[in-house]
Amino acid sequence: MDAKTIIVAGTFVGIVLIVVTLFSSFQSGWDNNPGGMGMKTAPTINLENGSPALGSESAPITIVEFGDYQCESCYYWFHNTRSTLIDNYIETGKAKLVFVDLPFLGRDSITAAQASYCAEDQGKYWEYHTILYTFQDGAPDSGWANQDRLNSFAFTLEMNMDEFNDCMDSSKYKIRVKANYSEAVKQGAQATPTFIIISSDGTTKKFAGAQPYSVFAATIESML
Amino acid sequence: MFIPLSILSEFLFIEPLFVIHVIEDRAFSFTLLVAISFMSAVVIPMNIYRIRTLQKSTTKIGGSLLGSIIGASAGICSCGPIGFSIISTFGTVAGTATAFLTYYEIPLRLVSLGLLCLVYYTTAKSISIKCKIQ
Repeated sequence: MDAKTIIVAGTFVGIVLIVVTLFSSFQSGWDNNPGGMGMKTAPTINLENGSPALGSESAPITIVEFGDYQCESCYYWFHNTRSTLIDNYIETGKAKLVFVDLPFLGRDSITAAQASYCAEDQGKYWEYHTILYTFQDGAPDSGWANQDRLNSFAFTLEMNMDEFNDCMDSSKYKIRVKANYSEAVKQGAQATPTFIIISSDGTTKKFAGAQPYSVFAATIESML
Repeated sequence: MFIPLSILSEFLFIEPLFVIHVIEDRAFSFTLLVAISFMSAVVIPMNIYRIRTLQKSTTKIGGSLLGSIIGASAGICSCGPIGFSIISTFGTVAGTATAFLTYYEIPLRLVSLGLLCLVYYTTAKSISIKCKIQ
């Protein structure tokens, strides 16, 4: 290979990297209306298969999180941003949070999502959700969310184990998790976590990544 | 190089607001990213100069590009849009590969940095010998 070929190849790789990155980032937003922070009226989002809402049902803002229990970025968002958001917007009744599964990272993502709904049957969805993000450890499908661990999480939360095992063995929520995945894809979620913030008048804003609290605060404040 | 790598590694967000967000857990990873970007910015032009001016072999620029590419690919988050597209298209094998890149991000970036430092050292040596005033 001569020098010219290498330089051209290197430049090509660099340009591809930049284009892909910028394209991916712009894909995460819907519109760029001046002064509107990329807001638009959203297509209807079907949240009936998602999690129970965290916060007041009558809250004017709905934060929809599309996530995967094995996703490292979701873990970072959970531990660095979520609690401040809950303190300032969810507990104050200004917003509610709905989690919709986008389990694409491995087979354990799907079973973990199913387990969360089995926990919901016993009124412990958010506790189970929290325990999954607390104990996320290692690469996807490395065993931290295998069936034994999912059972042990249920046991830790003092759930009825017979009921939980029956629920898991029957794959009761397989279709629900699939429906959530389809809904996420339909809404254009191409990364986890992806957020759609919906105001009471139907205006929405979508963005992706484990973004800091300031971004959520600015977006929510502009929609209140 | 710094900007695309920061976006890929989710340190820099441009939507809905332009914001840099480095959490404590990932500070070391961010430091490595800055170091790789800096070293790439130094080593690649040095090698281009070396090849164009001194008509030397192209092995070292291959090493520097390899170092930069390893550093860049190590930052690709499997949860991100690129990871999502790859996994959706190629399935489990791609999932394992992207998980490897994410999980071994720091060791891979250290390897990349080591490679860039080695290329810098050998290139600097080569240039200084050739350019020595007689």
